[in-house]
Amino acid sequence: MRRLALLLALGLGLGAPAFAQGPRVEPAPPPPAMPAPRLPDPGAPVTPPDLVMDLSAARVSITSAFQGEKLLLFGMFDPPGEVVVVVQGPPARETVMRKERFLGLWLNTGRQAFDDVPAYYYIAASQPLQRLLARGTGGEILSLADRLASVRSVGTREDSDLTRFRIGLTDVKRREGLYPADIGQVTIQANRLFRVDLPFPSRLPEGVYDVRAYLLRDGKIVAAISRPLPVAKVGFNAQLAGWANREGELYGLGAILMALLVGWIGGTVMRRL
Amino acid sequence: MEIYLPIAGQSINVFLLLGLGGMAGLLAGMFGVGGGFLATPMLIFVGIPPAVAVASQANQVIANSVSSLQVQWRRGNVDLRMGLVLLLGGVVGSSAGVVLFTFLKRIGQIDFVIAVLYVVMLSTIGGLMSFESLRTYFRQKRHPEAPRGKLHQHYLVHRLPWKMRFYKSKLYISALLPIGLGFLIGVLSALLGVGGGFVLVPAMIYLLGMPTSVVIGTSNFQVLFVAANVTFLQSATNGTVDVVLALLLILGGVVGAPIGSRLAARLPGVVLRGMMAVLILAVAAELLIELLRAPGSPYSIGLREVLK
Repeated sequence: MRRLALLLALGLGLGAPAFAQGPRVEPAPPPPAMPAPRLPDPGAPVTPPDLVMDLSAARVSITSAFQGEKLLLFGMFDPPGEVVVVVQGPPARETVMRKERFLGLWLNTGRQAFDDVPAYYYIAASQPLQRLLARGTGGEILSLADRLASVRSVGTREDSDLTRFRIGLTDVKRREGLYPADIGQVTIQANRLFRVDLPFPSRLPEGVYDVRAYLLRDGKIVAAISRPLPVAKVGFNAQLAGWANREGELYGLGAILMALLVGWIGGTVMRRL
Repeated sequence: MEIYLPIAGQSINVFLLLGLGGMAGLLAGMFGVGGGFLATPMLIFVGIPPAVAVASQANQVIANSVSSLQVQWRRGNVDLRMGLVLLLGGVVGSSAGVVLFTFLKRIGQIDFVIAVLYVVMLSTIGGLMSFESLRTYFRQKRHPEAPRGKLHQHYLVHRLPWKMRFYKSKLYISALLPIGLGFLIGVLSALLGVGGGFVLVPAMIYLLGMPTSVVIGTSNFQVLFVAANVTFLQSATNGTVDVVLALLLILGGVVGAPIGSRLAARLPGVVLRGMMAVLILAVAAELLIELLRAPGSPYSIGLREVLK
């Protein structure tokens, strides 16, 4: 009887973290309202972290079958509080082109470069952001609009025109699915588990992405964790792309040989048919 | 079924690419020219970056011309001497073209230049061809056995220096003429990703006065090497040749070409040329509309540089 009680306690206590680690598990029913019993564990710190998270995959692998991917970010926090998740792609200098009508034809007449443009930006929160950030978080958490407002323009241009270019940049990125939404929804289950889907489109720049989760109480960040998320081509794709980048001459010769071979063999075979 | 293209950096439907390649092959089989002039704009329409579309299309042209050169060579339809002289201009022209391409890409005008060049070129050729085939059609109706004209006309260009004898083509003309023509086709080839057969073939007939029997084979010969040069240079300087994309186009083309040549054998030449003229004009009109119509959004991203 005593053993049974211990087993039960173990199951209850470990149930939630075990669930949090397992990827793609359906949300479980809320655990019992009573506080989970803590097992004495000498040697380890007694207080668990306020915030833990994990991703359904450790990396985004761009294979030949890659069509974009949805990753599940999930975790657990110590209530009370609200959760904000920010995912950012590697920054780069991007040049925005603007078309204008010239002699009846539409052609690029204006260009504006921006530094530090994130390749990808997705922010999600469990509550409307304005309410969460009302008391300020020291500029640590930026909404998509704020993040883009902080993007530095290269060279000088009139303010109102610069804003138009900025909006143009956002629109293009949004169309490509690289800025998926103004704000995504972090779903909270059982008052302590959270989850959010991270949508990645097919035309995804490579690099090490940064995934961060924040725990907020009364508009203040009380805990933050981050982890890198590598996005890279793998296998055959990676080999070809690497080859094309590093050994352009060799790659070119290979491409010519491939075309000669397939054209020659294909031509011979098809004429026989 | 979708496939990820490693250089273009996006996924696309496999059958769409096979179909595009097949259509280009069909044209190649029917008219003896590569279908590059149709395939490149189509690739750009479906969202492949123009730089990748042009460079990969050049790779496809190699396969297309080698399989048709196979046949022409065996039949002895290649004027090697003329081909080599054309090629001299072609190699210089295509190398200059790749440099120009890289420059235009940097200043963000490559899409516009590609579109304008296509419109000008396709509408000129399409217009000339439809005029010619209509004229022939009505002449044939009136005089079914019209007497054949002179072998070729003598123009001012025949007074240029450096005259060379081209035995197979039965020509005695200045080498500057084919060199200049080769150069021009080379530039076009590098900028547009086309073999240039559809410009080269009429130019060889009407400008150089070559007999039609050797035109296709000699054009194939020049196009093959120029396309190889473009593929090499594009990949060495810009790294924009996507071999997966090219392979799918080639495979489609391999199937399409014999179907095209079988179709061509059943239709009279004047009808074929008329059909081709209509097709060329349709592509030109579509591209022109794209240039004239207000874009959905005037903004686009030209260049992305990861700063270290």
